[in-house]
Amino acid sequence: MFKKALIPLVFLVVIVALVACSSPVPAPAEEKPAATEEAKPTATEVPAVAPKKVALIIAQGGLGDRSYNDLAYSGLQKAAKDLGVEIKAIESPDPVGEGEQLLRTAAESGFDLVITLEYSHFDPLARVAPDYPDTLFGIVNIAVDQPNVVSIIFKEQEGSFLAGALAAMVTTMDGNPKVNPDKVIGAIGGVQSAGIDKFLVGYEEGAHYIDPDIEVLKAYSQGFGDPAKGKELTLAMYEKGADIVYQVAGGTGEGVFEAAEEKNHYAIGVDSDQDYIKPGYILTSMLKHVDVAIYDIVSRLNDGTLEGGVTVEYGLKEDGVGLSPMKYTKDDVPQEFLDRVDEIRLKIIDGEILVTDVTKE
Amino acid sequence: MEALTNVLFGTLRVSTPLLLAGMAVLLSQQINMLNIAIEGLMLAGAFSAVVVGAFLGNVWLGLLASMLFAMLFTLIFALFVIDLKANLIVAGLALNILAGGLLAYLLVVWFNTRGVYSPGTLDKLPLITIPIIDQIPFLGAVFSGHGVLTYVSWLSVIFTSLLLYRTPLGTHMRAVGEHKEAAETAGIPVRRVQYTALLIGGAMAGLAGAQLAIGDLTLFSENMTNGRGFIAMAAVFFGAARPGLTALGCLLFGLFDALQIRLQIGTGIPPQLPQMLPYLIVVGTLTMIAVRRKLKGTSI
Repeated sequence: MFKKALIPLVFLVVIVALVACSSPVPAPAEEKPAATEEAKPTATEVPAVAPKKVALIIAQGGLGDRSYNDLAYSGLQKAAKDLGVEIKAIESPDPVGEGEQLLRTAAESGFDLVITLEYSHFDPLARVAPDYPDTLFGIVNIAVDQPNVVSIIFKEQEGSFLAGALAAMVTTMDGNPKVNPDKVIGAIGGVQSAGIDKFLVGYEEGAHYIDPDIEVLKAYSQGFGDPAKGKELTLAMYEKGADIVYQVAGGTGEGVFEAAEEKNHYAIGVDSDQDYIKPGYILTSMLKHVDVAIYDIVSRLNDGTLEGGVTVEYGLKEDGVGLSPMKYTKDDVPQEFLDRVDEIRLKIIDGEILVTDVTKE
Repeated sequence: MEALTNVLFGTLRVSTPLLLAGMAVLLSQQINMLNIAIEGLMLAGAFSAVVVGAFLGNVWLGLLASMLFAMLFTLIFALFVIDLKANLIVAGLALNILAGGLLAYLLVVWFNTRGVYSPGTLDKLPLITIPIIDQIPFLGAVFSGHGVLTYVSWLSVIFTSLLLYRTPLGTHMRAVGEHKEAAETAGIPVRRVQYTALLIGGAMAGLAGAQLAIGDLTLFSENMTNGRGFIAMAAVFFGAARPGLTALGCLLFGLFDALQIRLQIGTGIPPQLPQMLPYLIVVGTLTMIAVRRKLKGTSI
């Protein structure tokens, strides 16, 4: 009797589980309201030109990640508002596996420009782009060499240089309980690859620009989603005299921040402004302004100046990278340090300081 | 000297979730129902510890929730493998996938966040200073000042050992694992023994997850266990499902993990070499055990 009752019960559990598991396939979020609202005035002013249509393929992590994807989408939304372009965000539960399908569907839907935020799309994009010569494609963080692809690259090394320079000044400062007198700072990467070392090398060069005697400890967590490992690595760096640790390891970095709080030292955030995660313990964040880049690309499309087959680089000069406003920590460091960082920023923009890009070696 | 105490202190911290998960897997192996779902159970424990701890504003209730929620998940596993005679591996993997997907989904619907949930209001489980040992130079620096669950993890080894070898229930568990039908004939309530062993293990797996989420950190992140459950499983094979030897296996892995982290930093050694170390040790020891068994001509 009991066993017979069990079977339907188990089915129920399985069905509930399956329903719970299958995250609702998010229908492509159409941005009609924003687009049409703003499109009307432009349409009356310039009646001859139909608004440009832009699709944005959202990367792993999806919208709502409070970081990369959301930031990129906000740039696109701004473009819709300011320029009157029609925009569409394309979300998928598996942007990596469905790469080719997503790109083809978008290309066939009549967009003028299809930008993908997903790094892994470099391979399917190289296959798909030649089939749609009238559509422009954009990809972020990696270069795809096709005549109708625009590659958007950030000079992360330049922003990291500033982070390293600031860290080198702060690590020996007097009167700050979060630092020790040792000339040691650290950096943790997710995996050892050119894409990650680009950050670390820029950071190290920035530190050595301030003081060649600064020791920069480096380690890799072998993954971007292991906060416990991130914490262990950071604690080990603190043991060796480091007091500021730069994280370039995604979710692993959450553990770096926890260690900073626990040991009353500093961490440095990456990509988006992470200073709020542990207020006061994150010295600054090295920002990548994906929103600025997306807005710029779309406005070039709108002007008719966007061409395929090029790599557009966003560095300090283009305001593509930079340091966070240091909302919680700017009173911890003397103004002269911040002035010095700004001075260095201008020197990099002027080409007086050249920062190594390890991906180009 | 300080470097040594740092490594050993780190070893005990890294080993904590391994020991707890190891004892959970060990109990399941003792009844011959290897709990592959260990990763999912740990994740369930980690998730509920953070969510309940933050919601009720009490980290101890979070700890309790981690055990209960992991036991609830274990119940599903037990139902499938004990009553519905499902294949252990399939049921275990299914539960791991279920846990991963369900928790990620709950993060989105409850907290509108992806990847990481870190409620700023959550306290960490307290660190404990042991009164007398604390004063002894070397021992104090290594053994005192750990989180509560580190000490619980040591107790879990003693508990498991006593349970298995000093209680009638433990004898029943071993008998069921040895030969289920014979145990049944002898009048042992097989089903109840199997459920009990898996559920006790489930509670420990929940604690292993809680150690990551509210003992070491104060957050939940998707797949934050990162294979620690499977490492613990390797330790169970290393220790031939004996509590003492399994614990030794967990501590060894913890030692080499703590060591590799420090070998990467400021030594100039290419990071790939030390990173291999803990896994190399696992493969190496498992090979040694296999060879020894072959020479002895016994299995397990």
